[in-house]
Amino acid sequence: MGDEPVIVVGVKQVPDDDEVRIDPDTGHLDRASAPAVMNPPDRNALEAALGLRDDAGGTVVAVTMGPPTATDVLEEAVAIGCDDAALITDRAFAGSDTWPTSLTLAAAAESLGADVFVCGEETTDSSTGQVPPGIAAHLGWAQLTYAEELDPEFDDETLVARRDVEGGHEVVAAELPVVVAVAYGEFEPRPAGLHRKLYAESEFEPIELSAEDIGLDDDEVGIDASPTEVGGMETVEPVERERVVVEGVDELADELAETEVFG
Amino acid sequence: MTETAPETDTDGSTDRIDLTDRDTATPDYDDAFDAVVVGAGLAGSTAALTMADEGLDVLLVERGRYPGAKNVFGGVLYTPTLRQLVDVDAAPLERYIAERRFGMLSDEDETAVSISPGEWHDPPHNDSYTVLRGEFDEWLAEQAVEAGATLVTRTTVTGLLREGDRVVGIETDRPDGTIRAPYVVLAEGGNSLVSEGADLKEKDRRENVAVGVKEVLEFPEREHAIEDRFRLTGDAGVSYHYFGEGAVGDAFGGGFIYTNGDTVSVGLAYRLSDAATSQPDPEGTLNAFKTHPAVAPLLRGARTVEYTAKTIPEGGADEIPELVHDGAVIVGDAAGLVLNNGLHLEGTNMAVESGYHAANAVASAAQRGRTDADALAAYREDLESSFVVENLERYEWLIERVQADRELLFEELPRAVADAGSEYFRMDRAPKDQHASTAKRELLRAVGGYTGAAKLAVRYRKLLS
Repeated sequence: MGDEPVIVVGVKQVPDDDEVRIDPDTGHLDRASAPAVMNPPDRNALEAALGLRDDAGGTVVAVTMGPPTATDVLEEAVAIGCDDAALITDRAFAGSDTWPTSLTLAAAAESLGADVFVCGEETTDSSTGQVPPGIAAHLGWAQLTYAEELDPEFDDETLVARRDVEGGHEVVAAELPVVVAVAYGEFEPRPAGLHRKLYAESEFEPIELSAEDIGLDDDEVGIDASPTEVGGMETVEPVERERVVVEGVDELADELAETEVFG
Repeated sequence: MTETAPETDTDGSTDRIDLTDRDTATPDYDDAFDAVVVGAGLAGSTAALTMADEGLDVLLVERGRYPGAKNVFGGVLYTPTLRQLVDVDAAPLERYIAERRFGMLSDEDETAVSISPGEWHDPPHNDSYTVLRGEFDEWLAEQAVEAGATLVTRTTVTGLLREGDRVVGIETDRPDGTIRAPYVVLAEGGNSLVSEGADLKEKDRRENVAVGVKEVLEFPEREHAIEDRFRLTGDAGVSYHYFGEGAVGDAFGGGFIYTNGDTVSVGLAYRLSDAATSQPDPEGTLNAFKTHPAVAPLLRGARTVEYTAKTIPEGGADEIPELVHDGAVIVGDAAGLVLNNGLHLEGTNMAVESGYHAANAVASAAQRGRTDADALAAYREDLESSFVVENLERYEWLIERVQADRELLFEELPRAVADAGSEYFRMDRAPKDQHASTAKRELLRAVGGYTGAAKLAVRYRKLLS
């Protein structure tokens, strides 16, 4: 680790869940009309990253992979308190699934000299949760997933995390560099300061990085480098449930007794 | 870094990206802007746009997630002033108003007057359009930003910075949330907590505030329902106003239906004092209005897609607060600039007008390097000589009179008119003469005989003068 730790935090633009309309006639989700917002779990990741800086100093850099319009989510990250932000953008990335996406973020982390890469638990538009472990795998770094609490012991090249595991929690220490995936809902995000928000939205310009800038060849990313194959789609028809209308509690009790739900 | 090189899929030899040259420190924006506008509604965005056009650096602060997200009105925007400032034809307009209809509703009857002059079909359509605020306000704020203003959303102004009596900036709900600026334009809307909190205006009394509720309805099963039911072609639309107990029960106010592109806005507004006493349930009142026999067929098969409510300042000319202060001006609904006399329901056009005049006054004061109230007095003077205050003053008497005669006008007369109408046109074997005199007798009884009718005519003569 250099003198000052570099903390990279991954953020992504997703359709706003609150604004995704359900067509009342067809029941289909209409995602296209929903405005793009920051992936909600990434807000927790941002807070975790800024908390590390509060405790241990260093620089927090937000990164996102996407088209130039994704700059909005970086501005928001800078408004909330990130020191800098990088937009990883290249036509070559089009159609990337989680494999090339995590490779790209891994390459960006390396180029930025990251000591810690903080991510949200998953994105709300695809919900795989594969990218944070993918980044760790591509880089050969340690990973701390479902982190609820972080304790930087950077002098010892160590990050300690309390992890949410089934039935309780465990405390794990990982050697730097490390990828952290923050448990969704932990690390209550801080609001953006007014002056910082004004700066982020009106003056700040992110660093732009192409595939080449971070040492990736075009054939390592994009749809051709994506192993995911969609096998097919099926629409499941809801099963018609059996219904009985009863008048009053006594009749309900009788019905239930008859079906032997209780005696 | 780690001692042993781990197995990695990335090209570790790529050049490090150097961040040390990047200057991303937070600048201090105190006094970086000439003016801060509180609220990106129609008054605020017009003020921001006008000041930006005049070369001022303007910060427009909005609490909603986008301009218009929090804004509610009935539905018709009158655009003569806006047309001089922006390209109204490029704005998200719903329909132009081709017909205005005024219906008196008793419990079961309607007696209506409808006007649809041919010239309203021709541009600029009498400058009357239905709009949806969510879209229109966002668009207008964009025009302000294109003119050079800076917009910041999701930020609630909680107070004003003062130096003595002078307003020198705003306080927001954000950390590091104060910002100084020479001028503050208060365009915060009817619920004007900032202006009141800073003692720039008094709290409204409930007699001077109306509560408005509104639904936006769509017709899922019928593609041309709006055109067919309201007899429309192309972009033509209607404005229907309703009075009487069939519209708002025992309250002082009225109901409306406006046609948008694919939806209709249906709502009503009445005095908060009535909502606190005789007509306590605005939602129930709206439902009763929607199911009135004269209204229900227009809305049959409709589905509610939006329900909103707001308070409307209706104090008239007497209740306009002091508009100019040292370092600050009050515009739009926050200044009580709403006209509701039954015939005319206007507010957004007055908001635009006030934002425009306030902005010009600020620009002129800035040129002279002054921030005191006297230097901003041109705003008050321009507004007083504009249609805004002229209309408010002109109709002040009408609103008072109508209030006093409300039982007669909204209950007895609609019933009598409906009864007289059905009597006049009654088809039975009696001669028409007899129906006519019965109808006349019923009408006269309602207004108190010939003497009463004459008195009524005198009381309302100014309507036509």
